[in-house]
Amino acid sequence: MSDIVKIITGVGVTKRFGGMTAVNNVDFELRRGEILGLIGPNGAGKTTLFNCISAFYRADEGIITYNGNQINRMSPDKICRLGIARTFQAAKNFPDMSVRENVRMGALFGQVGITYDEADRLTDEIMEFAGLDKYAHLNVPDMPLALQKRLEVARALATKPGVLMIDEVMAGLNPTEVGEAMELVGKIRASGVAILMIEHVMKAIMAICDRIIVLHHGELIAEGAPDHVANDPQVIEVYLGEEA
Amino acid sequence: MTVFLLVLINGCIVGSTYALMAMGMSTQYGVARILNIAHGEFIVLAAVVTYALQQSGLGLHPLFALVLACPIVFAISYILHITLYRRLRRLSPNLGVFEGNAILVSFGIYYIAQNLLQTYMGAAPKRYPFMMTSVNIGGAGISAAGLFVMLIAIVICVLYTIFLSRTRLGKSIRAASQDSQAAAHLGVKINSIMALCFAIGGILAACAGVLMSMREQFQSTSGLGYTTIAIIIVVLGGLGSVKGAILGGFILGIVGYTVSHFIDSVFMISVFYMIILVLLIVRPKGLLGR
Repeated sequence: MSDIVKIITGVGVTKRFGGMTAVNNVDFELRRGEILGLIGPNGAGKTTLFNCISAFYRADEGIITYNGNQINRMSPDKICRLGIARTFQAAKNFPDMSVRENVRMGALFGQVGITYDEADRLTDEIMEFAGLDKYAHLNVPDMPLALQKRLEVARALATKPGVLMIDEVMAGLNPTEVGEAMELVGKIRASGVAILMIEHVMKAIMAICDRIIVLHHGELIAEGAPDHVANDPQVIEVYLGEEA
Repeated sequence: MTVFLLVLINGCIVGSTYALMAMGMSTQYGVARILNIAHGEFIVLAAVVTYALQQSGLGLHPLFALVLACPIVFAISYILHITLYRRLRRLSPNLGVFEGNAILVSFGIYYIAQNLLQTYMGAAPKRYPFMMTSVNIGGAGISAAGLFVMLIAIVICVLYTIFLSRTRLGKSIRAASQDSQAAAHLGVKINSIMALCFAIGGILAACAGVLMSMREQFQSTSGLGYTTIAIIIVVLGGLGSVKGAILGGFILGIVGYTVSHFIDSVFMISVFYMIILVLLIVRPKGLLGR
């Protein structure tokens, strides 16, 4: 298909910690407008791959590109300003700032040359988009988990990214909250942001992802549409098989 | 009543410069994660600059020394960070190792700086005359120089707090001190912020040094004493909390002056250590820490 636009590509991405290879020679691509799921058992290297893309770690080998430019030698802040935003597995909101101030930080620093007025407008817009406007008065450390995670997504969105990477945003949420989180992810995609998500909640990932890649022991073992991946014998063995 | 006023006001005078010293150390530790043992040497350096300016016979107000001392200390701190500490951070496998190594490096800088200061100014205490009169407040005789120092120190504290909450650079410093990784992934230029914070901590040390020299004598070996007090205040107020540093500075100033007025100044430091001991048991995160 000629209308597939690759936004992020990774070729031969490898990350080692001492003698352990956490991510081994992984090739992947994220296409425009899609939600790409990244799954695998615990310790498969999902978050490490995330960290290599967002430059939290520096990949030992391989090339990662964003819109055709190599990014795996850049600093995390530069990658953010280029248009790749992320959340963290354990929410890392700023505890001494208000909900609105947290979101405003993303707006103020995520883009080059934004004015205070523009940042304020963007903040209000994102607060409403993420359904946080009615929680603006809450003290961040006291917020329920679902709202903490929502705030992290909102803060990342305020950097006006082209790609949003979300790490286990649904873990620990109840079914209603998972439904709300799925709705938000769908809305973000509809607004034109491509999404790369790590998730353990299988119901969610099967329902909203366009494609899924599966990591096991740092290696890519399957890739494709959700039903294709779900029926892959190797995936069933290493991943779904565990739960059966 | 008069004694109460005397102790309170003099305690606040001492505490105001303590607050500056601690704010600087807190900014350096909170963002750059460097517990700067050489902090006190920069305070002494600024005091020496002020003293030299007073001796030069130019007839300038000692406050003018800020114009000279602040850029000097800023430049030295900034260069130290981008040459030594940034490299150290890159070479350290994790933040904990970096913090440990950074303390060792700052000890090295402390020794070098202290020896340079001693070579330049000798071991004799230095003092210059400044506003030698005293003011009567409710029957208590308070040194005019002390009041002046306190006024300027409070102005600097207020300006710095406004800088942190209102300016874009200040906001990025606050974000970086609360979670530097999260800040970096939101586009905050974390490497320059860390170097800047280390240098801003130096500026605050310079302010403390200039003001300190106006009301008490100092010598080339005074630095480590200042550093110790700054560490105690930073722990008391809460690591990395600027408001905690201000609060802790004033509390320690008042406690210290009370002890030296009613008992003896030699017990001051012991009382400080006792406060820390109790604090670490009762409230280890400090008064305003997280």
